[in-house]
Amino acid sequence: MKRWSAAGRVRSLRWRLLTAVGIAVLLLWIFTGWFSYQQSGHEAEELMDGNLAQTGRLLMAIVENNEAQLGPLAARLATVRGADDNVYEPPLEFQIGRGDGSIIARSANAPDFPVLGVPDYSDIIRPTGSWRVLNVVSTDGRYRVQVSQSIALRDIAALEVATRTIFPLALISPILILLIYFSIRRGLRPLDTLANDVSTRSPENLAPLEKEPVPTEARPLVAALNRLLARLGRTLENERRFTADAAHELRTPLAAIKVQTQVARRSRDATVRDHALSQIESGVDRATHLVEQLLRLARLDPLKSVEGAAPIDLRAILAEAAGRARNGNPPVAQTIIETYPPGDLISHGDADLIGIAIRNLLDNAIRYTQPEHTVWLEVKAGADAYTLSVRDNGPGVPPATLPRLGERFYRGRESSAEGNGLGLAIVARVAELHGARLETGNAEDGGFVASLCGLPLSQPATA
Amino acid sequence: MRILLVEDDKLLGDGIRAGLMLASYAVDWVRDGEMALRALTDHSYDACILDIGLPKMDGISVLRELRQHNNRTPVIVLTARDTKTDKIIGLDSGADHYLTKPFDLGELEAHIRAVVRRAGDVAQPLLVHRGVTLDPASKLAGVDGKPVSLSGREYALLLDFMSHPDHLRSRAQLEESLYAWGEEVESNALEVYIHHLRKKLGSDFIQTVRGLGYRLRSDGK
Repeated sequence: MKRWSAAGRVRSLRWRLLTAVGIAVLLLWIFTGWFSYQQSGHEAEELMDGNLAQTGRLLMAIVENNEAQLGPLAARLATVRGADDNVYEPPLEFQIGRGDGSIIARSANAPDFPVLGVPDYSDIIRPTGSWRVLNVVSTDGRYRVQVSQSIALRDIAALEVATRTIFPLALISPILILLIYFSIRRGLRPLDTLANDVSTRSPENLAPLEKEPVPTEARPLVAALNRLLARLGRTLENERRFTADAAHELRTPLAAIKVQTQVARRSRDATVRDHALSQIESGVDRATHLVEQLLRLARLDPLKSVEGAAPIDLRAILAEAAGRARNGNPPVAQTIIETYPPGDLISHGDADLIGIAIRNLLDNAIRYTQPEHTVWLEVKAGADAYTLSVRDNGPGVPPATLPRLGERFYRGRESSAEGNGLGLAIVARVAELHGARLETGNAEDGGFVASLCGLPLSQPATA
Repeated sequence: MRILLVEDDKLLGDGIRAGLMLASYAVDWVRDGEMALRALTDHSYDACILDIGLPKMDGISVLRELRQHNNRTPVIVLTARDTKTDKIIGLDSGADHYLTKPFDLGELEAHIRAVVRRAGDVAQPLLVHRGVTLDPASKLAGVDGKPVSLSGREYALLLDFMSHPDHLRSRAQLEESLYAWGEEVESNALEVYIHHLRKKLGSDFIQTVRGLGYRLRSDGK
């Protein structure tokens, strides 16, 4: 039989159960035998004692009323005795005597001693075997009777009863053990099926295991396995998505550059060639931007917190980002509105990183809206933190894609606008390094809003 | 040959379109899945080049929808995903070919020729009709073994005729195969191209069917 586990003392469940049940059955069998032997011995003793008493009283009655004819009667009585091989009519010996103990009559094998025993039961061990003895004295004290019976035969009777009791049990035991064995095997078969199901699975198959055929006791295991499978599935799916997204973002600009190069080489038309060349240039620009963003993330990834954090002026950083967008080449067509609370807006961190985060959010807002839309840059000062938001009144983001925003290389908005899906990932990382977080969502009036929440007030939260 | 290009990336789409137009294909370019499905439903294309990662409706869904409606347009899938599983999903969803980015323009064109050939149930890459040969790979034509030089439009027109050698081609069908959306169609340009082809290939190679269109002269007549 296949063992369930090779680990040390935890052996096959099947064997353990079978051994335990086997021992229990054996013990039960022995106990029943012993108990039944004891009981039937006791019963036999009482029965035989009753027999002795009856016989004793009978003899006494015969003697009392027939003293005159005791002579011939004694000879007749002496022939009355049981057989050696009959348990239920065992050899019976008796002595009948007068009050002084002198013997009037006795059975053939009865001793020839005077009958002087105390009127009660007693056991006498003789060389010929053990005997149960009863002495009876007549009420007037003139006659005595002693009756005795072989104990060995009584024991044989007890043993016979006990054997008869045990015998069916002994017969049933193997059947019982066999039944238990098959029942255990049957009960554990779902576990075999389960193990088989798990071991024959392909690595791609992460579907939950069937709970139905498994015994109740094993269901927590199946549930735990299923939770593990689900977690594994999610991790794999994330990994797969990331790889697919990354491949798309990295390969598409290269594909574009390659195709445009081939067009430039093939075309004899100067306009077509020039167009292709300028497209190659923007393709390289895009790839460069992508590489820069990747390197930025790579530099941010190993950090645990901002290095060389210092007080930073949020108002100045935001104003600079807005100014750069307004005065860019070409200038941004969208209206950019800045809203700041009064007073100093001093946070703590890395001014460059916060600047990059704001620029990324602003770039996103501009990229995914039309010239007629408006972009708001806002700072809210809370009791212990700043919230920095970039909001637009553009088309917003499909709600289904919101949870994935900030994943690397994921481009959530349903738009053909150029982007590489790293902008928000960088913002999220910058926020994390500052002990803040990136929150994204659709504004009530339909636009998209991205906020850096929890930027520390001028003093650092942790030194 | 009219091709539908479905690619959301501006630079790449622009490059593929320019490259295919240089190869005398009429190219319609759309940038999302919904537009692609609409274009494929409304027009007849000789082939479709389909990107997988598209806004609004991804390429695989477009493909499935297309095949569900029994549309047999040959589809070449373009994608950055190069795993075995992705390829299997792409092909099993009804793609005829699978190209991974970045790819070679020449390879893409060869794939287009292959799927078009297969769709037209043609085994022989070289098209032959009554002594006139046309090789879509080299774009070289010949009459009785002598090479004939053709302009881009003339080549495209001859390719259309020789791909449907037994069919009557209406004026609208011919124009659709020559011009992409937004391309200006001069009123008698078709007649001019046919005139040129007749001069180069023999005056009775292309017959006019009055009021209906044009066809290649069949062997029997």
